[in-house]
Amino acid sequence: MTQPAANMRGPGGPLSGVRVLEITKVWAGPYAGKMLAHLGAEVIKVESATNLDEMRAYGGVDINSAPYFVSINQEILSVQVNMKTEEGLDLVKQMVAQSDIVIDNIRPGAMERSYLGYEDLKKIKPDIIQCSIKMWGNEGPLGYQTGYAPCFASLSGLTALVGQEGETPKGMNIRYGDSSSGACAALACIAALHHRERTGEGQFIDLSAVESMTSLVGDSLFSHSVTGEVPVSDGNFHPEMCPHGAYPCQLTGWISIAVANEKEWRALCEVLAAEDLASNPRFASMELRLENRHALDQAIGELTAEQDAADLAEQLRHAGVPAFKSMSSIDLCSDAYLWGREAYRMVTDHKNGTRPIIGPSWRISPDGPKVERGAPLLGEHNDYVYREILGLPQERLDDLIARKIVD
Amino acid sequence: MTALHGITIVEIAERPAGEYTGKLLADFGAEVIKVERPGGAPTRHMGPFREGESALFAYLNTNKKSVVLDLADAGDRATFEKLLSRAHGMIDDHDENWGRARKLSPAEIAASHPQLIHCVITPFGQGAPPEWQKARPINVINAGGWAYHSPSETTPDKPPLKGAGRFLPDYEAGIDATMAMLSSLYRQRRTNQGQFVDISEVEVQLNRIDCVLDRMLAGDVEPSDERTAYDMGGPGTSFACKDGHIYIFMTTKGHWNALRELMGDPEWAKAFREDWLEFDCTNANVAEFRKHFTDWILRQEKMPITEAAQKAGIAMVPVNTAADLPNHEQFIHRGFFQEAEHPVFGKVSYPTASYKMSATPVRVTSPAPTLGAHDSELGDA
Repeated sequence: MTQPAANMRGPGGPLSGVRVLEITKVWAGPYAGKMLAHLGAEVIKVESATNLDEMRAYGGVDINSAPYFVSINQEILSVQVNMKTEEGLDLVKQMVAQSDIVIDNIRPGAMERSYLGYEDLKKIKPDIIQCSIKMWGNEGPLGYQTGYAPCFASLSGLTALVGQEGETPKGMNIRYGDSSSGACAALACIAALHHRERTGEGQFIDLSAVESMTSLVGDSLFSHSVTGEVPVSDGNFHPEMCPHGAYPCQLTGWISIAVANEKEWRALCEVLAAEDLASNPRFASMELRLENRHALDQAIGELTAEQDAADLAEQLRHAGVPAFKSMSSIDLCSDAYLWGREAYRMVTDHKNGTRPIIGPSWRISPDGPKVERGAPLLGEHNDYVYREILGLPQERLDDLIARKIVD
Repeated sequence: MTALHGITIVEIAERPAGEYTGKLLADFGAEVIKVERPGGAPTRHMGPFREGESALFAYLNTNKKSVVLDLADAGDRATFEKLLSRAHGMIDDHDENWGRARKLSPAEIAASHPQLIHCVITPFGQGAPPEWQKARPINVINAGGWAYHSPSETTPDKPPLKGAGRFLPDYEAGIDATMAMLSSLYRQRRTNQGQFVDISEVEVQLNRIDCVLDRMLAGDVEPSDERTAYDMGGPGTSFACKDGHIYIFMTTKGHWNALRELMGDPEWAKAFREDWLEFDCTNANVAEFRKHFTDWILRQEKMPITEAAQKAGIAMVPVNTAADLPNHEQFIHRGFFQEAEHPVFGKVSYPTASYKMSATPVRVTSPAPTLGAHDSELGDA
């Protein structure tokens, strides 16, 4: 059984005492692990020098400070084991026996081929919670297919809804999809912990990354089922607000503005000193503004074009009009409010002392989770896992290392 | 069997962010009691409508109960307090002033209901300037950076986009809120102690782009005002085909050779190095490739060509629409859409969840409640 007292993650955080084993690569799987770690679980990543997470290789030569890897895997522990050897697999099974949750996002069928499928794991630990993250889920007619985030977004129905009006739908940014799918996986794992706590029963969670994206457009799909209308990409159109969009400002700036009623409309016109818009009969009601929205968007864009996006947004907000600057990466990185709220925070880093990271979206009090340690060196927690959790003698560990079972 | 059997949540949220959080919990089997103002939740009045009934409300409130309480009325307030005293958690998504005005601030709730998990979802988290709190989803997704960088390769003259549908940042925030609440509820089982959970919708967006934005924060890559700062380069994008759209993603020699073969090895493709995707993936080459590919793919039908591509090992997929999904073999196999009767709409198809749980499957067991449908149960509160 899991021994919370020996848990390296220590107290602090609502999932304190929960141990997670992750056999994950790239982004979606590691992101699920990160979510659980940032809620206080002890998350152990099973790694191998001969079968590295690609993220340890991108953007540099040092596998212990690869930028992609260290920007995701904070508060994760790393244990090395060569899963291509029978002895290595046996060690992984011993780790499973000491864990509450096992997460993987490796190729379809790979876990089963290594005798790490749910039926196998259940024999090792009857109440184990196993979560498998795959593009299409773990089985089914297309279960064999693999793909990249923009592919699952396209398959999901989400991409079809994002694009400039009348143009080919280009979808969200190409990076969108992996992390959201990982978050859905973590969510299901925590729900499964509740069921286990109440009944003693574990379970298998079969997560489809495509469907994670689909669930994010659920209301559009449900509306299609109710009304029969097929939703399409619609720029920034909103059927109940107008103006509703992003408008050009000075330099590269853009401002988002959303007007839901006449009071906000009048306030917008006042801040923009647009008496002619306020008195124009084509824009005199929400219905008319929606009807003439392209002309209205054009007119507002002309009024915002010479203004500073952040200043104008602040004026509008004070006047009661929802508005915010469209934030670029440099805006986000230099934002005093975000730094002040610890949206970004420093963690220890083995190479340089500290590194800023993006913290979780939650603050939990009292006794919230700590996020203080940077991503692990490869095998940094070999001693902890093999000696303390599995209870192997030092000679045995030395031998496993010498024979590259621990590699 | 449901995952959250026995857990009771009071929902005073009135926006999609909080209502989606309540939906996720209710779909996992929690008893979610939606407290509505007299006249009903604002989402009941948001479209699209059929026979006067909001499809949005019907989607966001499956498996919930509805009670009507005026929190400003002393009698109703006493009932509400009784409800809270038997609840495990409460979901709110109003701004701080709203909570303070109703004596529902985190400190007040912690004092009066110390066992309760109290979650508040706001655009910028607790402590933001009051005038920031009135932010709509389009403001939130612009404040969080995804709009500025979507779609990929957007040119500086095109507006940032709000994302898919009307509420993408709400749903993303709902996932994190549910995750944090469920974690805190798990602790509550063991300690019987409540906690306050503060969720920032903007910070959810920042977290989702961790391995791109954090490299900028840490100085591995320069942040900039480029619209393409989140992009990864390469020829991957969507294209119009004969009967819709497809998306193609390619990074290797293997992908390129397979695509050439699929296209019948056209003359123009011979001008490209076999390994151009890996070693010669210049903007000019990408543009040249797209010019020719655009012509070819426009003559293909999306299902046959993407099936052939998949079999050849090319990551080319259909851009599926809302009409495609209910008939899609993999969605059908997994039972993602659940047919059910709705009292006003008749037979409808609910999208369910991406996680198939072997012991506690997510199901819609009751449609969104009519206003005050469970008022009679308040006597037992």
